[in-house]
Amino acid sequence: MSASLPDETIDPNAPVANMDYFMALEFKETICPVVQRYTDGLLAGKIIGHRCSQCGLVYVPPRGYCPIDVLETTEEDEVELADRGIVTNYTVVTPVQYYGQEATEPFAKVSVLLDEPGGMLSLQDVLEVPVEQVRIGMRLEAVWVPESDRTVEEIGNRSWGSADGCILGWRATGEPDVPPDQFNDRVF
Amino acid sequence: MADIAIIGYSQSPSWREAELTEPQFLFPVISEAIDHAKIERREIGFTCAGSCDYLSGQTFAFVMNLEAVGAWPPISESHVEMDGAWALYEAWVRLQAGDIDTALVFGSGKSSPGNLSEIYPLQLDPYTLTPLGVDPASMAALQARALIDAGLVTEREMAQVVARNRRDAMNNPRAQVSGDFDEDALLAEPYLTAPLRKHDLPPISDGACAVILATADKARAVCERPVWIRGIDHRIEVHQPGMRDLTVSSSTQIAGKNAGVGNAPVDVAELCVSFSHEESVLRRALGLAENVKVNPSGGPLSANPLMAVGISRFAEAARQIAEQGAHRAIAHASSGQALQQNMVAVLEGD
Repeated sequence: MSASLPDETIDPNAPVANMDYFMALEFKETICPVVQRYTDGLLAGKIIGHRCSQCGLVYVPPRGYCPIDVLETTEEDEVELADRGIVTNYTVVTPVQYYGQEATEPFAKVSVLLDEPGGMLSLQDVLEVPVEQVRIGMRLEAVWVPESDRTVEEIGNRSWGSADGCILGWRATGEPDVPPDQFNDRVF
Repeated sequence: MADIAIIGYSQSPSWREAELTEPQFLFPVISEAIDHAKIERREIGFTCAGSCDYLSGQTFAFVMNLEAVGAWPPISESHVEMDGAWALYEAWVRLQAGDIDTALVFGSGKSSPGNLSEIYPLQLDPYTLTPLGVDPASMAALQARALIDAGLVTEREMAQVVARNRRDAMNNPRAQVSGDFDEDALLAEPYLTAPLRKHDLPPISDGACAVILATADKARAVCERPVWIRGIDHRIEVHQPGMRDLTVSSSTQIAGKNAGVGNAPVDVAELCVSFSHEESVLRRALGLAENVKVNPSGGPLSANPLMAVGISRFAEAARQIAEQGAHRAIAHASSGQALQQNMVAVLEGD
């Protein structure tokens, strides 16, 4: 954290009207064991989730518990998930050019409901599809980063839904869209 | 005001760096508090949490903590960006309405991922104090210096507080810092921020604490030894520390008076003594007799999970009554710089 130095061109006797103050906070997070198993899986090209033994819901990335049934989940509840699925929900982001914004063109972030045994990855990027063609029900498949280039440095304990550094994004499979009534209880 | 009782509590250990996420280590703490109260989760009518997103460095981190509660079907809940003691206060107010009889309150925090000496100044006046980087140790050192200069505390007394807390903490399996320390050896250590040595500061801790509250009828029905909250009050002093007399704590004094501390003898007090000199300030503000045992748990100098350290005083004070035979105990929580804001509660057994 650092305050900006006084600008020598400013008259020291003039009233202070504005003050710049730039600061940053750094956080260093230790990846918890459950997420470590998930990131190890991604590096090996596998998406690992936890399936609740009571309600059957699949959590990806795994959290170590099912918040619906308030049950802890462990390695015994691990399931390997499909890397194909359906868009159930999306947001088109129109970037505002604030400081640090690197994107210039509108882009979509989608929630992907994975094929059996299920699981939902949110905030995923869509590749090779114009933003205006992104739609609910379209089928996607993962585009993996080549194994030697994969990294999990961007994945934290709370970055639920993130496969950054291992899955580049998702592209359309060209299969027919799935009608929403087949997944309308799985929007997020 | 209706009597509200503490009927269950649970605390995690205090870790220097927790391997688990905050919801993950909250999970068993909340379940254990519910089990301890001998109630079912669905009997809880109101849930209130205390935590601070600045500690973990993520906006809305507090929402994820709810995953440890069991929030489906939907529950009635609230959150304070404060220590869990203030969540307890909110639930105490909520229970006064009388339409619900049971509440779950908890506080949790992971201090380990960030740099507290950079995070804390952000709660200060952003024009004059935050840019100076006035961290808690510097602020506490100013207060300790004022006390020493006024002849109200000595460095030896501060070392005695540390040695006593660390010895007491040897009986507390949740403590992070404990052991038999010689006060002369402590005094021989170098200053960190004069007149404070490293041991005058609290440890950096991750951890959580949950408490179950109930109305009188409910408490009688489910709990053998309810711990009654006979009085509770919190007061806040002016934000600018330069405008305060740091040798006294007027907010603690007023809160203690309103909570009824002086109405009967006190057996034990769990005080939020985060820096060793604060015990002297708080003892005087509360008018505690010399024989009142302060912080039998080892206090925050032994275990300091921010946002849970205040509500832990309630759990530890309740433990003294429910498990250790005390009759009347004080629970104290603090927030802000140099004891700026203080909560005092009087707890009693039957």
